[in-house]
Amino acid sequence: MTDPKLARVAKGKRPQYFSDPATDKLFAIVMSLVAELSVTRDRLDTLERVLARNGSVSLDDVEAYTPDPQVAAKREAKRTAYIERVFRVMQMELEEVDSGGSTKSFEEVYKTLL
Amino acid sequence: MNSKAHEMLPDTNHDEQAMQEYVRCWRRHLAHKVLPGAKVVYEKRVRPDFVIQEKRDLESIKDVRQAMTKDGYYQFWSAMQRRSQEMMWESVIDPTERNLENLVDVFERAEKDNAYEGSLSLDPELEIPKYHTAVDIHIQPGAYHSEFCKDDVSAGVLYEAGLPIYIDGMLGPDSDGLGENLVRFHGERFPDHRPVKILDVGCAVGNSTLPWKRAFPEAQVYAIDVAAPCLRYGHARARHYSLPVHFSQQNAEQTNFDDGSFDLIVSHLVLHETSKPAMANILRECLRLLRPGGLMLHLDISRGEGIYDQFIYQWETYNNNETFSAFLTGANLSHIGEQAGFERGKVNVDSAQAIAFQVDEFKTMDDFAWPVLVGKK
Repeated sequence: MTDPKLARVAKGKRPQYFSDPATDKLFAIVMSLVAELSVTRDRLDTLERVLARNGSVSLDDVEAYTPDPQVAAKREAKRTAYIERVFRVMQMELEEVDSGGSTKSFEEVYKTLL
Repeated sequence: MNSKAHEMLPDTNHDEQAMQEYVRCWRRHLAHKVLPGAKVVYEKRVRPDFVIQEKRDLESIKDVRQAMTKDGYYQFWSAMQRRSQEMMWESVIDPTERNLENLVDVFERAEKDNAYEGSLSLDPELEIPKYHTAVDIHIQPGAYHSEFCKDDVSAGVLYEAGLPIYIDGMLGPDSDGLGENLVRFHGERFPDHRPVKILDVGCAVGNSTLPWKRAFPEAQVYAIDVAAPCLRYGHARARHYSLPVHFSQQNAEQTNFDDGSFDLIVSHLVLHETSKPAMANILRECLRLLRPGGLMLHLDISRGEGIYDQFIYQWETYNNNETFSAFLTGANLSHIGEQAGFERGKVNVDSAQAIAFQVDEFKTMDDFAWPVLVGKK
């Protein structure tokens, strides 16, 4: 068998979520970047743990490393907190809508201070 | 660095595993933190604004869709949910492609294993129905049926590797939660029904089929699907669990089984991936295949209460290539069952309280139930 190549794109039109298609592409790229940083943080965690244990680290050490349940749980908690920080702006909007929010413009607030 | 449930799943390297973990966590965040917010935004921003502008309340799913898709918060959730689905597939395609030669070898060895009492029968001439070929369901590139090499199993690999990411492991380490759910429902509602011949229609990789063989070890269990790569994968997978199942490549609308072959016919999240005529054909075929006194159970998607929940359920139709699922939002399945020939009073929609895997066992969920189309002959 010569290395088979799998499909990478699903058949079916991709929906547009924002008024400008460029925003959709930019959004998808940013979502990927957030994920890539999470992967890098896990890799950094592995490097630190292998180094702390062995005093040196090789590529094989990184690939062979399997987090024990305690480490896996710590990573899960860190990853969850990371996601909550990155997507915080969504919760900010939600809290504002939920609480009735501030509807006064900056100019209106400013006038009350004069 | 991964721990695989069985030998038909691909090895992942460090970063692939980390990416899969991220996508799973991100999807959990979207489900628990962001999506519930969309309902708050709907009630407190979208709906009041609509009433002011249109001088009337939102009255239909279409109204809700038109209003919500213009809302910035909803747009972000929806775009993230779509991207998470794409990234889920991206995270499993690389390891699957790299491992494919080995996984095909595992399948080919399984096929030659005469000690295993299960079987696999493929039909290369079978026409793949258009509800599978029109768009790739779940935006899985290539969907269930596409083949990229001889004896390809990749669609099955991708499907099962994606499942725990898709649903945050709630189907359990063996991805068999839906089958287990319906087995429990069957046991509660029909404690005296002891099937000796069972058919699972639209079995995909057979992950929901195996709990039936486990629950009824003396029964002969058959499973059919139109997708050869999923069946090959499912055959090798079932062998791994030492659970003999007879897989064959057939369209559930018209099978080659004799009249009255089965005591029990089941499906797990299949009907919403077909079409209006196909669903009617499948129900008619089930009736033909059941023995007198036989039972049919189709577990399918929840249809939601009220126009907002129904709109959210229909997200999968418009954004995840589950094109037909919107039809079930308003469908009267009992009536469709009657039209297919089931006697009035012998076909109805029941409700199976959902189970989810938590820590080390399946636990009943208080807030979610699956509709089950029940038919008796």
